[in-house]
Amino acid sequence: MLTVGTIVLIGVVALWLHALRRPSAMVGPVEAKRITLLWLVGGGLLLPGFAIIALLAFGIPAGHRMLPLPPASGEAPLRIEVIGHQWWWEVHYPDTGVVLADELHLPAGQPVDVVVRSADVIHSFWIPRLAGKIDMVPGRSNLIRLQADEAGEYRGQCAEYCGVSHAFMVLRVVAHEPAAYAAWQQERGG
Amino acid sequence: MSGDARDWPLPRGGREGEGAGEGGGAGTGPADKAPQSSGGDPDPARLHEDFNAVWGNPRGWRAVTIVNHTAIGLRFMLTGLGFFLFGGLLAMLIRTQLALPGHTIMTPEVYAQVFTMHGTVMMFLFAVPMMEGLAVYLLPKMLGARDLVFPRLSALGYWCYLFGGLILCASLFLGIAPDAGWFMYTPLASATYTPGPNSDFWLIGVTFVEISAVSAGVELAVSILRARAPGMALDKMPLYAWYILTMAMMIVIGFPPLILGSILLELERAAGMPFFDPTRGGDPILWQHLFWLFGHPEVYIIFLPAAGIVSTLLPVFARRPVVGYAWVVVAVLTTGFISFGLWVHHMFAVGIPMLAQAFFSAASMLVAIPTAIQVFSWIATLWLGRPVFHLPMLWLTGFLVIFVAGGLTGVMLALVPFDWQVHDTHFVVAHMHYVLVGGMFFPLIAGLYYWLPHFSGRMASPALGRWGFWLVFGGFNLNFLVMHWTGLLGMPRRVNTYEAGLGWDLPNLISSIGGFVMAAGVVTVLADILLHFRFGRPAPDNPWQADTLEWATALPPNPYNFISLPRVEGRHPLWDQPGIGRELAAGRGGLAVIDHGRRETWGTDPASGEVREIIHLPGNTALPFLAALALAVVCIALLAKAYGVALAAAVVVAGLLLRWSWENGAHPAAAPDARTAPGDPPLHSRTADGPGLWGMALTLLADGALYLALLFGWFYLWTVGPTWEVPEGGGMAGRAGRLLLAAAVAHTLAQFAMQRCARRMAQGRGPKHGAAAFAAVAAGGALALGLVYAALRAAGLVVTATAHDAVIAVVLGYSLVHLGMATVVTLLQALRVRRGYVGLEAPYEPLVVARLWHYNGGVLWSSYAALVLFPPAWGGI
Amino acid sequence: MKPPAFHPAQIPLGLTLWSLWFVALYGGTAVACERLAAGPEEAGPAAINLGFLLFTLAAAAVPGTYAWGCWRAARLSAGRPSQERFAARVGAALHLVAVIAMLFIGLPLLGLPPCL
Repeated sequence: MLTVGTIVLIGVVALWLHALRRPSAMVGPVEAKRITLLWLVGGGLLLPGFAIIALLAFGIPAGHRMLPLPPASGEAPLRIEVIGHQWWWEVHYPDTGVVLADELHLPAGQPVDVVVRSADVIHSFWIPRLAGKIDMVPGRSNLIRLQADEAGEYRGQCAEYCGVSHAFMVLRVVAHEPAAYAAWQQERGG
Repeated sequence: MSGDARDWPLPRGGREGEGAGEGGGAGTGPADKAPQSSGGDPDPARLHEDFNAVWGNPRGWRAVTIVNHTAIGLRFMLTGLGFFLFGGLLAMLIRTQLALPGHTIMTPEVYAQVFTMHGTVMMFLFAVPMMEGLAVYLLPKMLGARDLVFPRLSALGYWCYLFGGLILCASLFLGIAPDAGWFMYTPLASATYTPGPNSDFWLIGVTFVEISAVSAGVELAVSILRARAPGMALDKMPLYAWYILTMAMMIVIGFPPLILGSILLELERAAGMPFFDPTRGGDPILWQHLFWLFGHPEVYIIFLPAAGIVSTLLPVFARRPVVGYAWVVVAVLTTGFISFGLWVHHMFAVGIPMLAQAFFSAASMLVAIPTAIQVFSWIATLWLGRPVFHLPMLWLTGFLVIFVAGGLTGVMLALVPFDWQVHDTHFVVAHMHYVLVGGMFFPLIAGLYYWLPHFSGRMASPALGRWGFWLVFGGFNLNFLVMHWTGLLGMPRRVNTYEAGLGWDLPNLISSIGGFVMAAGVVTVLADILLHFRFGRPAPDNPWQADTLEWATALPPNPYNFISLPRVEGRHPLWDQPGIGRELAAGRGGLAVIDHGRRETWGTDPASGEVREIIHLPGNTALPFLAALALAVVCIALLAKAYGVALAAAVVVAGLLLRWSWENGAHPAAAPDARTAPGDPPLHSRTADGPGLWGMALTLLADGALYLALLFGWFYLWTVGPTWEVPEGGGMAGRAGRLLLAAAVAHTLAQFAMQRCARRMAQGRGPKHGAAAFAAVAAGGALALGLVYAALRAAGLVVTATAHDAVIAVVLGYSLVHLGMATVVTLLQALRVRRGYVGLEAPYEPLVVARLWHYNGGVLWSSYAALVLFPPAWGGI
Repeated sequence: MKPPAFHPAQIPLGLTLWSLWFVALYGGTAVACERLAAGPEEAGPAAINLGFLLFTLAAAAVPGTYAWGCWRAARLSAGRPSQERFAARVGAALHLVAVIAMLFIGLPLLGLPPCL
């Protein structure tokens, strides 16, 4: 996407500079009208038209994957609840009753549904390397599906300005291998 | 220096044409050129003196009474420049703080105020007023008119802008500036989480400034539609006029939702009415809808006039008409409309259903097409023309590079999955600065250099200007190109600092260096412009060989613009008739008479541009200044929570505005002498058709946008508000509903009586006892007012308990204010009929007032339907 | 209701219709989901999409016919004042823009569940 964008940018700028510098040719009114239509239809309609279609061809499948549709296997994904506070994260595991602060553990290699809420102002839940962001709005609960393909540590950060300590509202995310996750759960839940 | 070889006998109005301290009045052009006589015509110097006696601007403290568009436009631009430098300084503070990880030059509290104010100042106090100021300055000249149609409104707009901006900026020096971000998201901005006055400064200050924006919007639109040069049909308007017409209409429709949002949030903060509080049935997302309903069109409100500058300059430098005039008009109008269908793309992360997001995503992509059409029209114009390269073209080229880049990242952001990733990161910061700086600042500087001879009568130096450009261009890209990368690395927006070792250190340092280089460039440009007032060589006539009429005035122009008014046959009056300026200065155009002592310009048909009447314009008056001053007192009193003082000052404001409306029509201050030359049409106040009808219609359109935003809030909370609750009993069911119905019926009767009186007067048939008839209509309005008030009492609202009751109170309060206004101005009409300022000879004003009545009728019935009929239909009661 | 094909009101009319359609579509889907979907995680009945698809087609037909009318008028307009021909031509183009905008923005109705 960035590459295509760069090419379009360079193309348009090159055209502009060339139009500025090229020796002016005298064209008759008929010829001028033809050139006009060529530019306006070609550059004004077709170019952005194709760009949009190309973008959609890429974007629609990507968007579909992000929809929290029920998974094909029929088994509901693990649910974790996260509540935003000024300026910390409260993490609940409804299945086991575990409660954590500023730390989120999840199994790697499987989808996880995170239900987000807020206790005070609007925050935004974001783990850049796992998924897009979803706002935590007081009075509402939102759902985001994420999946860590590899075990390891990730960094989450509040993405909506939420007051003076916004910059320090960081979430430590640990993705475990399924077996290690089960062990961790046992340890915490038991 | 006065030895330039001009053979143009234009009186160089020189400095008496300027308000004191305006236009950087350092060196002047050749001020006293000996006028030449041009056989048989009246002596131009004499004409100039006579016109200046009527149109001239006073000096000293009386300069606050100036209403002339040239002076007001310059004031707007100079003030905008001041706020730009202030906002730029704040940007430098931000870049200093972020240059290194863990920097603590500012505390988080101060940093929050600084970034909030940077955005607020640049958007509300620089970009919009600057573009409006340029349009206020240029449009009448381009359209071949002497002034805008509502000069007092120009002045009011300016003073509101100045005072509102000063109040807003003062908060930063007091250390209590707004600190919840320029978007003021609730609940962070509400009383619980921002208990100090910080948010109040934003809500009240910005609303004050927006009065200015909306009034300028109304005025520009009406002037474009109703006061063009004869013969300038819709298809012959300069493209700039199409751009400004679109921008003005967007302001008229786009700003009121934010004004409403600000009023509601201020009511929530000050009076505890919970519109956005989820614990009492409100919803913080409603604020986001109201904010972005304004906020997205705002981007195009800033971009369109800048694109208008491009479309004006580029054909001049390409030496040929713009390619595809009709295409560009279609593109501009399309942008204007579609940009209202994009606002939710700022809210893709709030959890709105995917399908609804997809609509906005599609609209966001669609809006790229009209922009592409304009870009390719410009390229084709260069292609088919014989381009000459001057300094403004350098800035236009810079504009193209940066703006196209910003547009491309914009299309990427329209894609929801991508947006979810980079939303609220520095990627968006970079994108937005590419669009706004590229799309607004670069064309603005191009325009500034292009029109400099107009402001000063002199040309700027090419060398220093080129340095300025390359510093700004290089610094800008160093700063913001790198910032895309910072954002992709995951750095969120609005953080006051960051940890080392996340890979953000180097790009941030580079960005900061770029920022300072850009600042150096801005200083260079400023120095160039300041120096040129002293050292620039005097500008020849029409220095760029432009095609538009603003170059047919003197340089710098006189307050009256043209001694006599041109007739226009094509799109390029100065290319068609290069000598037209001389002709006009010699008094060979229209309305060359001034011995009647009134300011006037042609009132023309919106479509054909043919003359319909003479619009007579008010002269200098202190009323707008005083009204804005009193409004400033209202604002400061509200900030200090001195509600008694605020109320008293509001009464003063109303009194001043009514006094203002008193000096209209046949009042001697409006037109000392109402006679017109044989063959000329009558004055507009002596007809049934004047610009005020359009002015009223557009004001009501703005008002209606505000009211619809309010109804939107009501329906939104009812249908999708997550915690909406309807209190037991009370509400509008039962007696309160019946009273509201009675009010609507009573008002409808009065409304038709008003219509009948106004129409009969316009037809010259009565009404017989004019004053009594209007007084009776006013009494009907008062009755409806009383009934609405009774309904409000009967509803038994507890406005602090639920959003439900709070919204009802605002809807009814809105009706009360409007009915009160209609009643008072109709009573005033009765008085004016008695005084003879309104009557069979001057039947125009009642028609204007009648529009307010029709509007109020619509409001009452809609309120009845929304408050009384809708809830049981939805099943809420 | 419909102004003559040469009237300058044709210029803003098409996209004004688009605005009304857009508000009805956005508001309508939200309200329909509130009423017809069982819960916030429910996809909602496909009938919602079908209904709004038909609504979109019907709405697009209105500026479509206006575009046709304006275009024909512009072609047969020799001898009329230039601003009238201009209004008809620009009006036709903007009506067409409205049709395209309705159809393009309505596209997601074909593929996405209404309420998720």
